[in-house]
Amino acid sequence: MTSTVLKRCFALSLLSLFCAGPAIALVGSAQASTKTTPYQTTRANSGTPNSTHVTKNSSGVIISYGNSSITYRAPSAALATLGQALYQENCASCHGTEANGVPASGVSGAFPDLVGLGPATITFWINSGRMPAANPRSVEAVRRIPRLDNGQALAIAAWIDTLAPGYPLVPYPHLKNANVSDGAALFALNCASCHTIEGDGDALAYGTSSPSLRHVPAIQVAEAIRTGPGNMPRFTGNLSDAQVNDVVKFVTTAIQHPQNIGGFGLGGLGPVAEGFVGLALGVGVLALVGFWVGERD
Amino acid sequence: MTDVINTQRSKREALGPYGRVGKTLGELDDRLGVAKGGRTFMDKIFPDHWSFMLGEIALYSFVILLVTGVFLTLYFTPSQSYITYHGSYLPLDGQKVSQAFASTVNLSFAVRGGLLMRQMHHWACDIFVGAIVVHMARVFFTGAFRKPRELNWTIGTTLLILAILNGFLGYSLPDDLVSGTGIRIAYSIILSIPVVGSYLGFLVFGGNFPGTAIIPRFFILHCLIVPAIIVGLVGAHLFLLVRQKHTQFPGEGRTEKNVVGSPMFPVFMAKTTGFLFVVGGITALLGAFAQVNPIWQFGPYEASRISYAVQPDWYMGFLDGALRIWPSWSFHNWGHTIPFEVLIPAVILPGLIFNLAFVWPMLERKFTNDHEIHHLLDRPSNRPKRTAAGVAVLTFVIMLFVASSTDVLAKFFDVSLNTMLVAMRVLVIISPFIAYPITYKICRELQGFVGGGKRKTPNVVTRTAEGQYVATPSPVYVDDVHRGLPATPVPTFITEEPEDAGENGVRVVDR
Repeated sequence: MTSTVLKRCFALSLLSLFCAGPAIALVGSAQASTKTTPYQTTRANSGTPNSTHVTKNSSGVIISYGNSSITYRAPSAALATLGQALYQENCASCHGTEANGVPASGVSGAFPDLVGLGPATITFWINSGRMPAANPRSVEAVRRIPRLDNGQALAIAAWIDTLAPGYPLVPYPHLKNANVSDGAALFALNCASCHTIEGDGDALAYGTSSPSLRHVPAIQVAEAIRTGPGNMPRFTGNLSDAQVNDVVKFVTTAIQHPQNIGGFGLGGLGPVAEGFVGLALGVGVLALVGFWVGERD
Repeated sequence: MTDVINTQRSKREALGPYGRVGKTLGELDDRLGVAKGGRTFMDKIFPDHWSFMLGEIALYSFVILLVTGVFLTLYFTPSQSYITYHGSYLPLDGQKVSQAFASTVNLSFAVRGGLLMRQMHHWACDIFVGAIVVHMARVFFTGAFRKPRELNWTIGTTLLILAILNGFLGYSLPDDLVSGTGIRIAYSIILSIPVVGSYLGFLVFGGNFPGTAIIPRFFILHCLIVPAIIVGLVGAHLFLLVRQKHTQFPGEGRTEKNVVGSPMFPVFMAKTTGFLFVVGGITALLGAFAQVNPIWQFGPYEASRISYAVQPDWYMGFLDGALRIWPSWSFHNWGHTIPFEVLIPAVILPGLIFNLAFVWPMLERKFTNDHEIHHLLDRPSNRPKRTAAGVAVLTFVIMLFVASSTDVLAKFFDVSLNTMLVAMRVLVIISPFIAYPITYKICRELQGFVGGGKRKTPNVVTRTAEGQYVATPSPVYVDDVHRGLPATPVPTFITEEPEDAGENGVRVVDR
């Protein structure tokens, strides 16, 4: 008799423990949880300038990194007239005729203000095909075939630059002297946490994504690092031009043309594809062989 | 000149009726008495059904693992001390990397056949664990785990756990960016255990993460200790299999008291040796043509570096999936933190799943009240509840596995990662409850559908003189019907005489 009572007591205490655990957990999590906004990454995450060679303009914006790894060039001011025409045709419906992000019909704040953003930002968004946007209301614009060519992009950038000069200028990296190994280390430290270490990109939270780097030209890689498009942080002071050059070289060589020994690369999906191949082609085929040599009744 | 004694023929005759082999075996038997055991061994009966070959895939891929693994140990340096890499892979040239990483990259690039061996080792591991799971499913769904084979079921489940563990350990050894993340997660999982977690973590890692001890320790575990246990348990698994004899599917001439099939020698030996080579061949083909784990692209691990979209090998996927989708519950009070979001999915959940596997034979005995000895297998559809329960648990684990690739799925289907996360939470919980009734229904339907999946025979309709129509089933072709060969009993060459019971404690046996 007493043993059954003891057993029941024991079971009850166990049960109460199991019930209490999640209850306490819920209380704890309720304390810890705070409301978070969808976009946690902001442009403010731009790093601390630590290069002694940087030159800043009167308002504190870095205009030169003081070395010859990357040439920053402003688009020719002579293109501005053409740029204005192209802008009004392709961009004004959202960004407004003054490029200040206020469309003729809409309210301010719905679309980005382009004044003072600098030529590199403008050319990056146009040359990567993200602008003019396929769907202006989508969460993010994705890379596609550009609607405007590089000359037209430079023209628009030139016109916007006349409204208020901005930086960075369009970077032209000189990859000859870049160190791909340093680039690999910098990439692993700064870029792989979103773009993945193989540069394939992936889905991020709330419908955003990190794009694949497999087909991005060198100039656009440098532009993206320096301007921080979308959710990407802007790397200004914490990467020197030589370091940006290294990263660009790593992306355009080791990531875009990997030394891919060891057979078919299985689409860069990693262990998901490997597991599928191992189970289907490995275990599956071997089971079929067993089926072939064995009795089937 | 008739009695020339030095002819070929007279030599042959001098060797006896079984030739040189027979004579050698005779000599061996004179000294070691191998005839009796050898006879039993050669007459060990293996059922011919194809599903009995699944376990052999696991066995032979383990053999491949041992062979390729020995090759890899010759070139691998289990050390976390840093060196500057100067090898043939340029994007790493000049980087400070651990010796473990550098030696693995060198093994892949500079050692002749090294990458083939590494990839074969990795593929053989994927196949090994996969074959264990498939074999286990076969044993489960046919009821082969029932009395008297519960112990072997327990050994097999232990082998699965050890295989997964050793796969993880080996995956971690190259010290690359991706596997280092895995070790980091393992450390966090150990930390999540209440009270002892931090002590246990320091014990395993020899200090705080990452330290410099974990790769050498994993190396010893991966190459010596765990394989030794696996070899021992595989031996016990096979010993019990021989001792208890095989199960078999019910059929003509098959009862609870016999085993029908091919003897070890010569039929099964030929079949199984061939199968060993096929396993080796498939593994070699995969190793040669399918790239696996290109660690040089990942670079060395450092605690400050991380790559997005990192998944473990497939057999760890269900743990990763559970960790991904579990809500962020944790307990902070009285100066202590218990991270339930790690503890439950990574410690308690796998504990429950594997414990369920361990105790299943006992549970089934208890619930069905069936304490009989079973040697004849069940058709899965004849045990609808067991089959449905097994499918439900498998579905649960598979959904957890799918949850480990939420990012890949979100990218592929172009949906938000958050939507995917919520969808996986719902699917993981709901899908077992959907799988159970569907499987149960299918089983019940199949019970009434004997001969399902087999080739149907046409009916020959004849009209009798009275005008009556008679339909008689006939084979499609005369030779198209499987006919089981009549099984002949294994001859008993050795008759054992009963032992005399000793009267005064002193006993005697024949040699």
